[in-house]
Amino acid sequence: MAKRITVDPITRIEGHLRIDCEVDGGKVTHAWSSGQMWRGIEVILKGRDPRDAWLFTQRFCGV
Amino acid sequence: MRDEDEIVRESAGGPYRQIVARGVSRRDFLKFCSAMAAVLGLSGTFAGKIAEAIEKAERPILVWLEFQDCAGNTEALLRATKPTIAEIVLDVLSVDYHETIMAPAGKQAEKSLEDVVKNHKGKYIACVEGSIPLKDNGVYCCVGGRSAIDIAKEVCGNALATIAVGTCATSGGIPAAAPNPTGAIGVKQALPNVTVLNLTGCPMNVENLTATVVHFLTFGGLPATDSIGRPLFAYGERIHDHCERRAHYDAGQFVKQWGDEGHRQGWCLYEMGCKGPETFGNCPVVKYNEGTSWPVQAGHGCIGCFQPEFWDKMTPFYRRLPKVPGFGVEVTADKIGAGVAAVAAVGVAAHRIARAIRGKQDKKEDTE
Ligand code: SF4
Repeated sequence: MAKRITVDPITRIEGHLRIDCEVDGGKVTHAWSSGQMWRGIEVILKGRDPRDAWLFTQRFCGV
Repeated sequence: MRDEDEIVRESAGGPYRQIVARGVSRRDFLKFCSAMAAVLGLSGTFAGKIAEAIEKAERPILVWLEFQDCAGNTEALLRATKPTIAEIVLDVLSVDYHETIMAPAGKQAEKSLEDVVKNHKGKYIACVEGSIPLKDNGVYCCVGGRSAIDIAKEVCGNALATIAVGTCATSGGIPAAAPNPTGAIGVKQALPNVTVLNLTGCPMNVENLTATVVHFLTFGGLPATDSIGRPLFAYGERIHDHCERRAHYDAGQFVKQWGDEGHRQGWCLYEMGCKGPETFGNCPVVKYNEGTSWPVQAGHGCIGCFQPEFWDKMTPFYRRLPKVPGFGVEVTADKIGAGVAAVAAVGVAAHRIARAIRGKQDKKEDTE
């Protein structure tokens, strides 16, 4: 019988990552990774002064 | 004969024991206490009281929550180029939960947080980085299957105090910029009944967090704040009033183009869009990276990141401050309406009048 394992949050990274795996007979048969946070910076950027874009996109990740 | 350091080392408790264990001399420690007194706007005589408080303090427990963030404030906390006393003072906090740096993951990580809330209820400090999205039941930020708002309610609601670090946590920041796709808000907006201290900035200046912690250890409470919950010691004064380029502003010497002669000479960046006249903060005094520099010193205008909603209110970043009249202002100075720029605008207007009188009027620049 396949067993489902979820690790959420994945720590020591930035970005709220979640991993789900399906384990069957000691082997990982399926795995999914998903970001658990969305800000919509692409949407926020629309229609703004293009010279400002670097300041917005720079904030995708502060690491 | 035993030296003073040795005696102090033996008698010290809590955080101070760790500071001496890290090889910080008594002299450097006292220097740090004087510097903190200065940042906090206290007279030099408080240095002794600060030293005494740090020597005696219990190790406070801190949890650091990350919601809709970029970890920029975490980086500000961690990225000192060499161990400074400030870093060590922050080290004395027992950081029991911090997603980006903690060893346990998944359920074990969440258990660390549950344990703090359960075992130290009302005694720990919660730092929050990042905004809280409310739209669609908070689905846009979840940790361990729980929404940010759900976690914040429990963790901040049971804390002694919450410190919101960075402009996202204090007022929604970049996720809340128009059209705010996720319904993001700041911690105080999300939890109006919780005690929240706001350290705005994108990111906040870690010196101000250190000073807040030192204040907490010394006086057993949070520092006095302005109307939007920011400590007055850090946010009480206008950037423009302490800027090293201010003499050029007063002399009417403005950079007109990136890389022009004025830019090379370090002239005022107002006409390149500097938001220093509308922004409150201690950047020019405290600076960043151990007092190395700050944006205006490096040659770029202030973007106003210490002000709430600056992503909408201060943009376009390269446009000269909106609603601040340009040259030939004599006729319009009395028409300046309310708004964030009101006081600054009066200052700028007065200055413009003075310049106009001196015959330096340049109509060409009034293009906005
Ligand atoms: S406008 Fe900006 S660069 Fe000029 S003096 Fe004020 S803060 Fe400094």
